[in-house]
Amino acid sequence: MFPKGLKNGFSRRTFLKSTAATALSAGLPSIALAAGETVKIGFLAPLTGATAAWGAPGLSGCEIWAEKVNAAGGIKIGDDSHHIEFVAYDNEYDPAKARTGATKLIREDGVKFVMMLGGDTWPGVQPVADRTGMLFSTLLPSDLSPDTETLLAPTEVHPIYLVTGVQWLAENKPELKTAVMCAQDDALGLPSVATYLAAFEAAGIEMQDEPLLFDPATTDFAPIVTRLLSTSPDIVCLDTCYSDYVHPICEQLFQQGYQGQIISATADFYDQMIAKTSKEFMEGFIFQFPDFDDPALNADNINFKDANGFYAEYNKRFPGQWGAVSWEYAAIMELWKDAAEKAGSVEPDAVLAAMTEGGKGKHAFGDADWWGEEMFGINNALVGDWPVVVIEDGKAVIKGFKSIPDWYDQHGDLLIKHMSAYDQMWNQRS
Amino acid sequence: MRNFLIWAVVAVALIILPNLVSFSQQEVLVFLTINILVVASYRLLTLTGEWSLGHVVIMGVGAYASALVTKELGLWVPLGILVGGASAAFIAFLLSYPLFRMKGFYFLIGSFAAGEIIRLMWKRFRDPFGGAKGIKGIDPMPDFSIGIYQFDFFEPVSYFYFSAVVVALCLWILWRIEKSPVGLTFHAVHWQDKLAQASGVNLRSYRTLAFVIASGFAGIAGALLAHYIGTINPNSFDVEVMVFVLTWAIVGGTGTFYGPILGCIVLTILNEIVLRELGLEQTRPLIYGLILILSILFMPNGLESIVQKFTRRKEAK
Repeated sequence: MFPKGLKNGFSRRTFLKSTAATALSAGLPSIALAAGETVKIGFLAPLTGATAAWGAPGLSGCEIWAEKVNAAGGIKIGDDSHHIEFVAYDNEYDPAKARTGATKLIREDGVKFVMMLGGDTWPGVQPVADRTGMLFSTLLPSDLSPDTETLLAPTEVHPIYLVTGVQWLAENKPELKTAVMCAQDDALGLPSVATYLAAFEAAGIEMQDEPLLFDPATTDFAPIVTRLLSTSPDIVCLDTCYSDYVHPICEQLFQQGYQGQIISATADFYDQMIAKTSKEFMEGFIFQFPDFDDPALNADNINFKDANGFYAEYNKRFPGQWGAVSWEYAAIMELWKDAAEKAGSVEPDAVLAAMTEGGKGKHAFGDADWWGEEMFGINNALVGDWPVVVIEDGKAVIKGFKSIPDWYDQHGDLLIKHMSAYDQMWNQRS
Repeated sequence: MRNFLIWAVVAVALIILPNLVSFSQQEVLVFLTINILVVASYRLLTLTGEWSLGHVVIMGVGAYASALVTKELGLWVPLGILVGGASAAFIAFLLSYPLFRMKGFYFLIGSFAAGEIIRLMWKRFRDPFGGAKGIKGIDPMPDFSIGIYQFDFFEPVSYFYFSAVVVALCLWILWRIEKSPVGLTFHAVHWQDKLAQASGVNLRSYRTLAFVIASGFAGIAGALLAHYIGTINPNSFDVEVMVFVLTWAIVGGTGTFYGPILGCIVLTILNEIVLRELGLEQTRPLIYGLILILSILFMPNGLESIVQKFTRRKEAK
């Protein structure tokens, strides 16, 4: 409820001004950063529920990152140094709760940047982002569209990076020619299905059946696996299934005697999967998220600082909890910190401009380009190389880095074809 | 006169309330208001002795219908909300044919199955339902002004006032229905079904009527939700959400009109405000579950029994 005078002028600017005025009148910290003031960063992701594995480990990673940065003096804005503090809100992967969380983080906690998992929750937050001009990040660039000017996908270009796993598979195991796939029927599963279909087609691997889409409420995977194996495929693709699905599906594959190749976006907590199956069964499992103790991450082109040290600290504090997103949110923060220091400001518009300046960015796995016009209608996804990880002797090993832009230059039309078939192009989303 | 004064005080309190809480609590207040309608409408169905696991999906029918008619056909949002309610009632009417061939536990399972079929249809038919991603960019309630104030429905305070008026009106209708001869017959269908049948009451018709009315109001609640958050998807109306509705009703108690509402208010404040403010983000489900178990163990008749104990003592004095 606002006085009429605000009716036509309630834009992002007016919002920021009114927030500043409210903050001043309420005796809260002003919108301009005071010397030594702590910079708050919002963490708006699922911390409980089925998708918590893609939120909670990221928060743990961020806390380690913040302690390290703060111990080194914090973030340098102009002549002042500021400590960083994360404020978390569990959105339970629900758009309504995500909206409430975004409101709290921005209007009450005064955060300068909000990191999200994205997906189903982003549409609930988008009106808040539009009104406030707050800078957001997502791990799921399928949230991007020409309207999402303040939303960035700076680390994970899900699901496009999945093509690198299939490309590596085709190059290194050319004898595998047939595949089947299953995925949960949701906003994460479908674009991933389209991407794998494009990657398999580009690699000359034949799909033996339509992708098997199951309801996210599924708990019994025996019939799904039985159907997958009925055509005796060379490759079983687990798409971007949540870890709550990957684990029981692998158990079923093991119990039903499957001995072929498995490829998946993630293999979170793969040590538990090995314990439930066997080391031999999991040998050769391909996925996309490395353990950060991998020597390959010490290479000069890797921009994630002290990856091995980060992994050691993470495992010391949270043993057995390393997952796909453990490093990702921290990697986003690394980009944000560099951009804020470059801009000399933590204000969202200044950081956004600094981060995307020149169309280049320092992605965790090497220098990359801000990209996405064709796929997402906006160049807000940072795309470069992505690692292909294989389980060897019970341990995840990076087998190489593949260039996503190079693949797209050759096979982009296939990706667009399959994305369009699944209504996943930005201009098809309802 | 006394009643008028009480309601006037309640109305003033509701006008003041959102201005006393934080921005995020204002958001919670909007969702709480909508959920009160969901749980109150659910109680109407339980009056006939039937418990459904499809009520939240029926709420979703209202949300989808309203979202589609406003987005695709350009219908004015308040009319869309009414269409949402009517659509939910109509779907419930259709479902009543197979479902009311069953009773008790079988009805419960049947309603769950029917709800899942509807949810799967939303997923399967990307046109018009948007598939798994659902519908985004749902038209918001159009802004308008009264006197010097501009109602901006992006703001939770404005939407709270709007939804509070709608929900209050719906609750009044539900209350009137319960206190009418039709409502008394609902009770009879539950507690004295053989006697009611012997008196010429068509049990199935009355069960259907309760199901359709309850669904209509749930549909309105769904539409209110859709036009506030601007997006809906099949997971917004899954069985997990239904479990919350059930727990509100069970913890609050279904013996009185206010019991489930009380359960909804207390548990929402506990889960969304108290536990979050205590910084227990990741342990909330654990604590919430523990409190549920304790409340069922020590308050088997629900929170309403505490209120009843208090009011009876007062009356005795």
